[in-house]
Amino acid sequence: MKFTLTVLNDPAHLFAGGRRRVVVIHLGFVPPEKWQVDMRLNQDKATRFQKIFFSFLSISVFILIWHFAVVFTELGNIMPSPFAIIKNFAVSFVKPVGKHTMPVHIAYSLRRVLTGFLIGSCTGIFLGIAMGLNEIVSSIFKPVFEIIRPIPTIAWIPLAIIWFGIGETTKYFLIFLVTFCNVTINAYDGVRSIDSDYIGAAKMLGANPVRVFGRIILPACVPYIFAGLQTALGYSWATVVAAEMVRSSEGVGWMIITGQSANNMMQIMMGILAVGVIGFCLTTLMRVLEARLCSWRERGK
Amino acid sequence: MGIQRTQAVIIPRMEVKKLVKKKRVRNTAISIFTLLMIVFIWWLVTDGLHLVASSAMASPVKVVQTFFRKMTDKSPDGATLLQHTLASLKIAMVGYFLAVIIGVPLGIFMAWIKVVDLMVRPIFDLIRTIPGIAWISLLIIVFGVGNTSRYIVVFLAAVVPCILNSFSGIKQTKDVHLWVGQTFGAGSRQLLWSVAIPTALPMIMTGVKVALGASWMTIVAAELLASSRGLGFMIQQGRGIYRPDIIMVGMVVIGIIGGIMAKVLDLISKAIIKGR
Repeated sequence: MKFTLTVLNDPAHLFAGGRRRVVVIHLGFVPPEKWQVDMRLNQDKATRFQKIFFSFLSISVFILIWHFAVVFTELGNIMPSPFAIIKNFAVSFVKPVGKHTMPVHIAYSLRRVLTGFLIGSCTGIFLGIAMGLNEIVSSIFKPVFEIIRPIPTIAWIPLAIIWFGIGETTKYFLIFLVTFCNVTINAYDGVRSIDSDYIGAAKMLGANPVRVFGRIILPACVPYIFAGLQTALGYSWATVVAAEMVRSSEGVGWMIITGQSANNMMQIMMGILAVGVIGFCLTTLMRVLEARLCSWRERGK
Repeated sequence: MGIQRTQAVIIPRMEVKKLVKKKRVRNTAISIFTLLMIVFIWWLVTDGLHLVASSAMASPVKVVQTFFRKMTDKSPDGATLLQHTLASLKIAMVGYFLAVIIGVPLGIFMAWIKVVDLMVRPIFDLIRTIPGIAWISLLIIVFGVGNTSRYIVVFLAAVVPCILNSFSGIKQTKDVHLWVGQTFGAGSRQLLWSVAIPTALPMIMTGVKVALGASWMTIVAAELLASSRGLGFMIQQGRGIYRPDIIMVGMVVIGIIGGIMAKVLDLISKAIIKGR
């Protein structure tokens, strides 16, 4: 027979993170010394059910407040209702906005991001590791990075347009730049973070340079590189939206900016929704990939 | 014959120091040489051999000249460099400080109080996936092209990292530390102030730093899109009239100011965070 006694240290704590002490006492033939006292403070650990329930609740409350504000107040003059936005978003999958349907706009933006991101991350990882391994390489490139890094990529947009025109190359260049800078610095930091004792020990035990690289250097960099890729992808997405807003003829950023010039709030909101959803998908994808590739790190924690 | 003998070579400490110093001198020399080479090649392709059209790339000499001329000259975009810089800085700073003042306590609040966490976080997670720049059009329609929209967009971009980092900083607090505090009779408020917040401080400061970069980037973007003053406006105008020298001056100033701000914040956070 189990008897649970909940001891509240202080009733106020129930709200301040709900700190309480649960004492589980077994009654019956269990001698007192075997009574189990469960000292876990069940504070921040919301159950899965609680999380889903409250997410659902808060988002629906948010949407309902928005909806009623649009219907009953003057906000309705400028802001469409959330249901109308979702409806139009769904409709835009078959009915084109401007020249293209929504999936085509998204595909344009995604292609720009992914092309630049792939080139930038490959070259960035390569250069970053090379800089970490070789002092001469790092003293050549480090000062260049120190100069370029503080300039936000968005400030490159006008120059990139002058150099490469208003076509795709400009966007590829911008995304490449933001990815390359982030990833290179992180890969470099990753190599630098390795305790040289490990490399020394491996060498002493007879590992050749290839093996040292594959077994020690690369695994140590991977978490750093992923952190860089993660930030780079976020920035790339923001940059492509900005670049499309400055100059383009398709894509989600284009959708937002033409919505603005046509005073079409619905189109702006659809664009924002698309930006948010795709941004969320990209970061989630990256996180899943990281969890897969760096699982050893999670286990070690 | 089969045994190879290796001799351990003992290098005196002084010698090691000398070697390290020698290497450092060599590396610095390489760095300086590279930078000089880049400037030289840049000069060569522009002024030296005229390989690139002057409408696409300004020479280093021209950029420096333009920098000094723009200090006093209002043409071609209606304000001196200093006026543009101050206009951008003002908006970025006001939006940023508002974001820090509101965002950091909100993040702490969200992490400390479970109900708030459960209720606010889903909405926050929904909104934070949208980059600050995407809000510009919406804000311009609602608030007009004035400064209000720019303050809000900077605020939005900066508040997200503030909330996010103070939230996860507080969440990092070890249960054991809280128990110790409780055992010694600390109330909830005391636990928060003397256990959780000091633990979270490094993370909060990182968030505050990221927010600064985000607000500076966002103000430039906002000015690129809709504005009549500011560094972003200046470089956008430079593009329209094919003046790469103005664009480059603008980029350099943007970079320098961003760098200085990051450095200052670095020093502040080092002063605040003790014992790390």
